Amino acid sequence: MTGKNGPPPIHVRGLRKVFRQTTTGQAVVAIDRLDLTIAPKEVIAIVGQTGCGKSTFFDLMIGLEEPTEGSIMVGDKSPSSDFDYFRGKMATVFQQDRLLPWRSALDNAKLPLELIGLPEEEQRERALTWLNKLGLGAFTNAYPHELSGGMRQRVAIARAFSVQPDIMLADEAFGHLDEVTAAELRDTFLALARECGSTAILITHQLEEAIAVGDRIAVFGKSAKLLADIHVAQWDARDYGTLREAIQLTLQTQQADARLARG
Amino acid sequence: MPPKEHAESVPVLTFPRQTLVSLLVFAVCWEALSYLAPYLGIPPFAIPSLARIAKAITTITPVDIAVTLARVIAALIASFVLGLALAMAMYRSDTLEKYLHPMIRILMAVPVVSWILFAVLWFPGVEFRIGFVLVVVCGPVFLVDTLDAMRSVPRELRSMMRSFRPTSIQFFIKLMLPAIVPTIFTSWKVNISLAIRVVTIAELVGAVTGIGHQLSVAQELFSVADVFAWTVVLVALLFLLEAIVARVEHRLLRWRA
Repeated sequence: MTGKNGPPPIHVRGLRKVFRQTTTGQAVVAIDRLDLTIAPKEVIAIVGQTGCGKSTFFDLMIGLEEPTEGSIMVGDKSPSSDFDYFRGKMATVFQQDRLLPWRSALDNAKLPLELIGLPEEEQRERALTWLNKLGLGAFTNAYPHELSGGMRQRVAIARAFSVQPDIMLADEAFGHLDEVTAAELRDTFLALARECGSTAILITHQLEEAIAVGDRIAVFGKSAKLLADIHVAQWDARDYGTLREAIQLTLQTQQADARLARG
Repeated sequence: MPPKEHAESVPVLTFPRQTLVSLLVFAVCWEALSYLAPYLGIPPFAIPSLARIAKAITTITPVDIAVTLARVIAALIASFVLGLALAMAMYRSDTLEKYLHPMIRILMAVPVVSWILFAVLWFPGVEFRIGFVLVVVCGPVFLVDTLDAMRSVPRELRSMMRSFRPTSIQFFIKLMLPAIVPTIFTSWKVNISLAIRVVTIAELVGAVTGIGHQLSVAQELFSVADVFAWTVVLVALLFLLEAIVARVEHRLLRWRA
């Protein structure tokens, strides 16, 4: 993996994740033999219904979970086995802002920079730069409880971009915001990801969001099976309605198949 | 939305009017009872007048207050460091937690008087005895409180922090410690009150300095005024320490405003 030459490609091969339920001990397959390749600097939206394994894929991507079988390789490194290697190279934005309530906006944005051990002055400068880019220059000393939901999510985005990561992951990062704020933040997020030259992986259950953001859309069915892999650039913007309907149909067909299989 | 201004003044050392009124009512009742004691068949020395208590307060030896205070503060710091270190180790290791938890429960169930007797039987030095009793009583409280607080740190914050790949030390310093600060303060307040009471009992047995020792002397001399004077000092000491902790707490927890 080389930061100088931009982010490396991501190869997901035969990825399988099985959880054991704590109460019943029953095995639950969250991801079943997933194959996916993500090109450097690509913005990919992963879309699918609730419970299809999107969030498990997210946890596996950031290395918080280990695959039961198969692998995720970012260049020649694994996010879980080479966990520390990705410090400062991978960043995340979650559904909730997950800001530390005892830290001001500036100190929250500084957090990843502190972890990679940058000098204090540089931490401050970089965090301020990113807060300014997100329109929070006047609120750097505000605590999270003093900010609105949209502003808090902006701080969370500034925190993630402050390390200028090679890989940026967002898990339903705009889903809880009102439509106007969400659309605005999505555009900002996309612009910043392109500016940083990061590979961006967005997990979402909203088709509109996936179409609006992704260069590519990976449609996940149950157990994170790849149902469709769509390159949005190949579609004319006027045909987005058709694209939306096609994805919806794919998901509905898979749901019907699953119901039939269950009898 | 502009950030709110944080109030800098702390009302922890001020007395609300209600407190003054209740103290005044208590003082009047006490004085009346002291005056009426002989008529009620109570020996006059048992309920001394406020004037006698005030006179006894003027004879109090500051060195005994300083000794007791030093014992309490030193023992609380030792208990806190020990309790926090063990809590961190137990948080990280389930095995250690499983072995130590029953022991902690047993330690917490042993009465203070038993610890004092054990200390007298086991250790020759007075200071070590008192320190031992205080640490063995206050340490587990710090441990249990901080361990519970660490476990209560929201899973979302823990996974957010881990996603940025901190070292173990960074994880504790940047997330766990700040997250448990409110509980640490509550634990300190509880332990200050506990330590003041325990140190007094420990000093009653064998110590030749400190407030507990002076209480013991006053009791041997049947000087109820002195007993009251030293008790007033103990209560004032407790309030002072609590006020200091509350002030530091207010300063450090500004973000909760």
